[in-house]
Amino acid sequence: MRRIIKYLFIFVFFFFGISLVNAKEVTMEFFYGYTCPHCAKEEIFLEELEKKYGNLTIIKYETYKSEENNKLLKQRVEELKIEKTGVPLTIVEDKYVLGYTESFNEKIEQMVIDASIEDRKIKEEVGDFLTYNLPLIGKINVKETSLFLISIVLGLVDGFNPCAMWVLLFLLSMLVGMKDKKRMWLIGLTFLITSALVYMLMMLSWIEIVSSIKTSVILRNIIAIIALVGAVLNFRGYLKSNKSGCNVIDDKKRTKIFTRIKNFTTEKSLILALLGVILLAVSINIIELACSAGIPIMFSSILGINNVTSAMIILYTIVYIFFFLLDDLIIFSIAMITLKVTGISTKYSKYSKLIGAIFMLLIGLVLLIKPEWAMFNFN
Amino acid sequence: MIKVVKITAVWCSGCLIMNKVWNDILKEKNIDTISLDYDFDADSVIKYNVGKILPVFIFFKDNKEYKRVIGEEKNELKSIVKELDL
Repeated sequence: MRRIIKYLFIFVFFFFGISLVNAKEVTMEFFYGYTCPHCAKEEIFLEELEKKYGNLTIIKYETYKSEENNKLLKQRVEELKIEKTGVPLTIVEDKYVLGYTESFNEKIEQMVIDASIEDRKIKEEVGDFLTYNLPLIGKINVKETSLFLISIVLGLVDGFNPCAMWVLLFLLSMLVGMKDKKRMWLIGLTFLITSALVYMLMMLSWIEIVSSIKTSVILRNIIAIIALVGAVLNFRGYLKSNKSGCNVIDDKKRTKIFTRIKNFTTEKSLILALLGVILLAVSINIIELACSAGIPIMFSSILGINNVTSAMIILYTIVYIFFFLLDDLIIFSIAMITLKVTGISTKYSKYSKLIGAIFMLLIGLVLLIKPEWAMFNFN
Repeated sequence: MIKVVKITAVWCSGCLIMNKVWNDILKEKNIDTISLDYDFDADSVIKYNVGKILPVFIFFKDNKEYKRVIGEEKNELKSIVKELDL
């Protein structure tokens, strides 16, 4: 039983990360020299770290030009019994890191995490979860893994939502009839890449909005409600799709899009054809976003309210979009290689709705009832 | 005398799956099949009173509608073929 609870605990933590206790204010001392190249590199990392941890304050001491700071450096070296004096030197409470290479990043971050948690007993427990040793995979950071897994799961669930799939299939049926293979690949890839970029742009814009107002508890509740509404919509979609198959899209809309696809696939000028496919991908993805039942908005909100660096936000969004487009990429590649259009069973979209509903319900409830279980850093 | 009217669309993922299933059946059975595309054969499709879900397989026995399979229902399709002892 204890074993089950332990694994359940790990599962929950993988998805929702860690924030068991309110983080304590942490002060970091950073001794550096203005011409020291390693110091400059560490400074970039520390800036990201300061953005990531709202409770972290970094005090910088330039030691080459300032004698006063140099004296303080020697004093701290003596106090901490460090064998030699040098920069960069990074100190958090009684722990320090002397020198810098990128491999020290994890150690420096761990110093901040350790200092953030006041209760030693909890610190030990959390320490176990933060870096977890998995067979074959090795050491993984739970906090980063949780967001990574959320990116994959929500991306996949959103991807099986067949809203824009019918356009891709029609486009492919037109493309496979073309004799020019290069043109086929170019038009198809342009459609997929534009779709990815439009989706990414919309998600990043939403993240920007959420980031700018993230200190509000009201916002957390709004996001929880979005999640719960999304859960209801997905569950309704699951129940309604008792008959698997394709829903016939509105005649006018379908005919209009077919005409556009026919026009640009038969267009002699490649540039005009590509322009046509870009415009189609932009309009389709904007219109069909409503069909995704809030999943990308939910995911963007999670990223927006977390103290995640800009680089990581982009990385997680790319992971999400990759998995979102995975089924399209598979169908596209098969069609281009075999010149036969294949489909993915509509049954998957039905179950993706159910998984999406469960996932969003879970996120919504955690945010409303036990926000401290989530790693979302609301103040 | 059995005749099957198959109504699919190029943009329908489920139709592609069911097309494959039907082609596999045709490899073993000789069934008179009329294949219609929902968009390109709209004039012919309209008389079969197709609803909002594709694909649709309509089985005719002695020129009268016997059964129809709506949606991506592989097992239902196979069981009708078995039932008709085609």
